[in-house]
Amino acid sequence: MAQDDQHTDAPAAEPRKPVFDGPPLSLEEELAAARAEPEPGPTIETVNESLADGVNRCPKCGSTDVQLRASSGMLVCLFCRHQWQEERVEEELGLGVGIDELEGTVVASGAGEIDEGADDIVTLTCGGCGAEVVVDTAHAMNARCHWCRHTLNVNKRTPNGAVPDAVLPFKLTRDEAVEKIREFAGKRRLFAHPRFRKEFVPENVLGVYLPYLVVDARAEASYSGVGEVQTRRWTEKSGDNTVTYYAADVYRVDRSVSFTVDDLTMEGAADRAQFDSSTTNNIVNTILPFDTKNAVRWNASYLVGFTSEKRDLDVGDLSPKLEDQLLSIGRSQVHGSLDRFDRGVRWEGEQVDVGGSRWVSMYLPVWIYSYYQENTKMLHYIAVNARTGETMGSVPVSQWRLIAAALTVGTFLEGIAGAILVGTA
Amino acid sequence: MSALLDLQVTVLASGDGAPLWILAAGPAGALGTYWAIYRYYRNNDKSHAYERDTLIDAKPVQGHEEKVDHISRTRDSDIDGDNSAKYRERVRRLR
Repeated sequence: MAQDDQHTDAPAAEPRKPVFDGPPLSLEEELAAARAEPEPGPTIETVNESLADGVNRCPKCGSTDVQLRASSGMLVCLFCRHQWQEERVEEELGLGVGIDELEGTVVASGAGEIDEGADDIVTLTCGGCGAEVVVDTAHAMNARCHWCRHTLNVNKRTPNGAVPDAVLPFKLTRDEAVEKIREFAGKRRLFAHPRFRKEFVPENVLGVYLPYLVVDARAEASYSGVGEVQTRRWTEKSGDNTVTYYAADVYRVDRSVSFTVDDLTMEGAADRAQFDSSTTNNIVNTILPFDTKNAVRWNASYLVGFTSEKRDLDVGDLSPKLEDQLLSIGRSQVHGSLDRFDRGVRWEGEQVDVGGSRWVSMYLPVWIYSYYQENTKMLHYIAVNARTGETMGSVPVSQWRLIAAALTVGTFLEGIAGAILVGTA
Repeated sequence: MSALLDLQVTVLASGDGAPLWILAAGPAGALGTYWAIYRYYRNNDKSHAYERDTLIDAKPVQGHEEKVDHISRTRDSDIDGDNSAKYRERVRRLR
């Protein structure tokens, strides 16, 4: 009996030990070990201890009227004009180094599992006057005390996923974003839906911090398939026509590549993580990448004047997507080694081993202009990356104009084709 | 629109035999115009090119190949189902 206990304990205590390290396990024990929850991996603590929940004062004059100055990327006190900034997480948390030595899943504290039942509403006690102020963390991380006008910030970790590890401050100003959006839509006026043209007001753009998980990973990807090399090409007469024939050698091809990726960025909100034809989610995805190396430690003052969206996807939810993206990256890496297969390669099997990954949650800045098209019930966006200025959008089209243009071109080409036929007959 | 011009050039260049399929140029051009303009406005085919725009540090590619067959006569100019450049098209997972 004592021996049985020992067997049962062995896989739970040391799940990584090879099974040959003792008497073989029974089927039930092996199944139990396989179903067991993985051991929690190491974490990176990212809470900004220098900040208090609620009132954060300017280090120089004590005012709480603090916000981001986009042109310099620094926090500015609106009372005494003092400017300062938080440290970059890249150096502070050592995120840029050691990717090739990553083991297991390392999760920063702000990217931890979200408590589904956690409330979005956080109540802060104003440090200025003692009033209770409510912040809806689903959309904002600051609120003004309605009695004494202090700005209150949510700086402590919340279990609902609204406080990330790091934030990348806005760099592009609102005016610059409006200009980008106007230019983007201006190039797409001719076939735009008439109602969109009438209702287009780029000044309605909103600055939003969107939640992302930024991943460093070490992986090895392997692929197997079939490739063909052309050995001969010739033509044969068949009646009035000539037919080209080919001869080829067929090869079984295997490739594998080890690589590390630095700052792979994935959507942290389920609403925007699905890309299909019924949404325009791909638009916001297209303006990636951000210069995530410049992200700084969390300080809710960076969010004053902007809205935010809380994260609702965990590391576990995104792991399959990470594997998928790593497989795609591996494919692009091995592509250069296939030059000799001039008739192409058909991959038939693939696998990826993720040796280690490190997950950090970040708020990334986006200027968004949205337009709801009533007749198709589709929400269109024009989004501007508030760091790089990359702009992408979806403009609703006028189907009638588009069909008219297509028919005109079609008729013109058909006319040319007809003339050629008649001319050579 | 450049695809359209290419198509037009192709149509004009293949005039020596003037086969009947040249009459497909009209419908093909109309569809191509619709598709090109729609895509330019709606951008529904775009996404983040993480394969290219992420910092990737790869070790040299390993692998081998073994000749298993010979095709002595075919009219196909390339292999069936070439997916070597379709990085995001998933195939069977080996494990």
